[in-house]
Amino acid sequence: MKLLYLTIVLAPLIGSFFAGFLGNILGRKATHSITILGVLISTVLSFYAFNYHVLEGNDAFNQNIYTWLAFGDLSISVGFLVDNLTAVMLVVVSFVSLMVHIYTIGYMHDDDGYTKFFSYISLFTFAMFMLVMSNNFMQLFFGWEAVGLVSYLLIGFWHHKESAVEANLKAFLVNRVGDLGFLLGIALVLMYFNTLDYVQVFNNLNNIAGITIVDDWSLVTAICILLFIGAMGKSAQVPLHVWLPGSMEGPTPISALIHAATMVTAGIFMVSRMSPLFELSETALMFVMIIGAITALFMGLLGIVQNDIKRVVAYSTLSQLGYMTVALGVSAYSVAIFHLMTHAFFKALLFLAAGSVIVAMHHEQDIRKMGGLKSKMPITYWTSLIGTLALIGFPGFAGFYSKDMIIEAVRYSQLPYADWVYIAVIAGVFITAFYSFRMFFMVFHGQSRVDKHTESHLHESPWSITIPLIALAIPSAFIGFYTIEPMLFTGWLESAIIIDPSHASMEILKSNFISALELISHSIVTWPFWMMFLGVITAWVFSLYRTEWADWIKNKFKGLNYILESLYGFDRLNEIFFVNGFKRLGEFFWKVTDAGFIDKTLVNGSAKLAGFFGSLIRPIQTGFVYHYAFFMILSLLFILTWVLYSGENPLLGLPF
Amino acid sequence: MTSAQVLFYTFSFFLVASSLIMIFAKNAAKAVLFLVLAFFSVAGLWILLEAEFLAITLILVYVGAVMVLFLFVIKMLNIDKSTLRARFAGYLPLGLIVAAIIIAEMTMVLGHEQFGLNIYPAPENASADYSNITVLALQLYTDYVYPFELAAVLLLIAIIAAIALVHRPEQNRKKQDISEQVSVSAKDRVRIVSIAKENKEVKK
Amino acid sequence: MISLSDYLILSSIIFCIGLVGIFINRKNIITLLMCVELILAAVNTNFIAFSHFLGNEAGQIFVFFILTVAAAEVAIGLAILTLMFRNRGSIDIDITSSLKG
Repeated sequence: MKLLYLTIVLAPLIGSFFAGFLGNILGRKATHSITILGVLISTVLSFYAFNYHVLEGNDAFNQNIYTWLAFGDLSISVGFLVDNLTAVMLVVVSFVSLMVHIYTIGYMHDDDGYTKFFSYISLFTFAMFMLVMSNNFMQLFFGWEAVGLVSYLLIGFWHHKESAVEANLKAFLVNRVGDLGFLLGIALVLMYFNTLDYVQVFNNLNNIAGITIVDDWSLVTAICILLFIGAMGKSAQVPLHVWLPGSMEGPTPISALIHAATMVTAGIFMVSRMSPLFELSETALMFVMIIGAITALFMGLLGIVQNDIKRVVAYSTLSQLGYMTVALGVSAYSVAIFHLMTHAFFKALLFLAAGSVIVAMHHEQDIRKMGGLKSKMPITYWTSLIGTLALIGFPGFAGFYSKDMIIEAVRYSQLPYADWVYIAVIAGVFITAFYSFRMFFMVFHGQSRVDKHTESHLHESPWSITIPLIALAIPSAFIGFYTIEPMLFTGWLESAIIIDPSHASMEILKSNFISALELISHSIVTWPFWMMFLGVITAWVFSLYRTEWADWIKNKFKGLNYILESLYGFDRLNEIFFVNGFKRLGEFFWKVTDAGFIDKTLVNGSAKLAGFFGSLIRPIQTGFVYHYAFFMILSLLFILTWVLYSGENPLLGLPF
Repeated sequence: MTSAQVLFYTFSFFLVASSLIMIFAKNAAKAVLFLVLAFFSVAGLWILLEAEFLAITLILVYVGAVMVLFLFVIKMLNIDKSTLRARFAGYLPLGLIVAAIIIAEMTMVLGHEQFGLNIYPAPENASADYSNITVLALQLYTDYVYPFELAAVLLLIAIIAAIALVHRPEQNRKKQDISEQVSVSAKDRVRIVSIAKENKEVKK
Repeated sequence: MISLSDYLILSSIIFCIGLVGIFINRKNIITLLMCVELILAAVNTNFIAFSHFLGNEAGQIFVFFILTVAAAEVAIGLAILTLMFRNRGSIDIDITSSLKG
């Protein structure tokens, strides 16, 4: 089995090396074949591993492969922990990555950096595998940073575009802020547990139960909140969400791969993996839940006013990540993973469909310039419809099951403020339906607002783009129905996730559950269903039926519109406060301390001081011989006197 | 007061007086002559100390050659006739004080307690056939022959140095510098000038 | 009887007179050279006094060499003086202040 896991990890890495270093020599066809072959191998083996661990129920695999460094008692190694949770993540990541690899053949067809792109996405796949398969915090951090790095490389892929470069810097820096918290959390773990290995940490949790640091903060709460800050950076929760919309500057395949399905879910995965730790601190769970709710609601609101097709989907991602975080907060870890899985499929599908539309429209991304594309691009249309229905939670599709479970879990939670969160997530359903169908209607239905030249070229995208769309549409439709029961209730993830008995929402959910089919019929009487329905109707009204009403509302509520369009001012705040602040600080250090103090005062000043003393001593050299002779005589006198009178046995005693 | 003491005090009086006059003399030739007197007194003192050879050498070589050399240079450069600035006053008190202190200290060290007759008794007078030259020569040519040869070389060097310093080659000598002659180029020697044609005809 | 210390004190007096002479000399370099001669004479007296009272001829031999070196030094000193006079026109001491700092 060890060999199998090593192959899963290394196959994309080897593909990436070939594409990166030999890409130009091998040519396009060979490059994409090698990388797709690498990821295909990983996908097949991931499915095999999934089968082995989850379906056949074998034991988890936990082994250190290679000791990286050892000092004192601490030894840090590269190791794999493959249990059910890991297996699920492996399947999701490898499948979506494979789809994106195939999609790239068509999407990046005209681009010069074709081989470089394949190298990067394979490298990303490798990093993500290392992250989910790690068995200690250090490797987790390595994977964490590596996916951040590749994300940076990919967002700025079109590096001659100024906006892309700004966006990739923003992504990296904001991630860095989150990573600071993450590192502090890891440092605390190291300090108090003296080891970075997951299993050892989880076995010794009782040791730290009562410890408090810095006055009254419980250690467990501190560790959990710090680790979650890292998740906030990676999974784009408020206020570290500002990088995700900017990341849409990169090509669409990476938006699908990284910013919908895999990297942003790393945070969610990490918190689930740390469930034994998080269960010990209710404060941390509450913090997680509230942040998630804020993100879910407010980011959804922003999706309503976006006009770029990719930005709508980006804000949708942010909102759904908020949902996953809320699920984590109410101790429904398996529901969060479930939603992670379904979301990966339908969000990747939506992004790839958006990419298909963009390619067909010759890289036009504004939805106000689209419309009536249904007849021209049928496959894209139908797969988008499936994806959108899954996203809004239409009964029977994948998103319905996961989202409803989250809402139910929140309802049964005992945490403080849970009722407010419940209202927020229900409102979120309406908003989700609204913006999703607004986009859908504006792109595919209604009158065509496409300009004439582009319209003449409109046609369905090539098979390399549509095959992944179909391949992703199938799980979006059906996977929820088939996997809800085993994943949540009959223990697919039981061995990996620990839940404290006092956080009983999962138990109640389990006791209320009858069957997947029943959930569909039961949904008619629940709030989310009607919220969703209302959202669709509203979207239809404002986008198709009476678009003038939309403009009228926009003019009436100018203030609200301004707040939404300026994205709540987060970007301005960051720019004014942090960026300018650091620039000023840097300028201060440069001008005052470096140039002024060190250069002028210390360096030049010491030279001038030496010169000054020199000028004081110089006049002694008068140039006249008799002066020199006189100094010699004087010195002679002094020496004589000294020799005569000083020391322990002077030649002469003093006359007095 | 023995005759030795009288002689000693006489000689030392002349020595001190003439050296004092020498340093304050305005006329350089006068200063030289008083230095000669000082050296004569020193020679007398040396004879008192039974170092006859060196006393005579002092007079013959030192006074006879070196002081005469001084006089030559003074006369040659007309120093005593030119107007010279003489500004003593500034440093004289300070110099005298410093000198007085040095003398006082040295007297304290070299006084009778340390070097008096009870510690270093006066030696016997030498007999009449005491030959200072022979005694010195016996030491000089056996134990100290190496420094003796070096001193000879030193004098040779002094001769060569003095001549080399002062020697001026003749000003009007014509001599050839071959390298300069060879490195001449045409433009150093010939310059071609174009002149406008004049229209005057030559009268036949 | 003349003791050793008398000779030593005498030579120290002459030495100091020579020093003062160097020091207060403002006029010309000849005076400087002559004061150097005076100092050498004082030192020679010192040596010979010790040689006499200690019965050791080494002192007189040393004086012999000092006389040699002094003669050589005067020769060269006067040569330099002549050159200076030739180049600068006078032997005033104040001229030789090129090393002024």
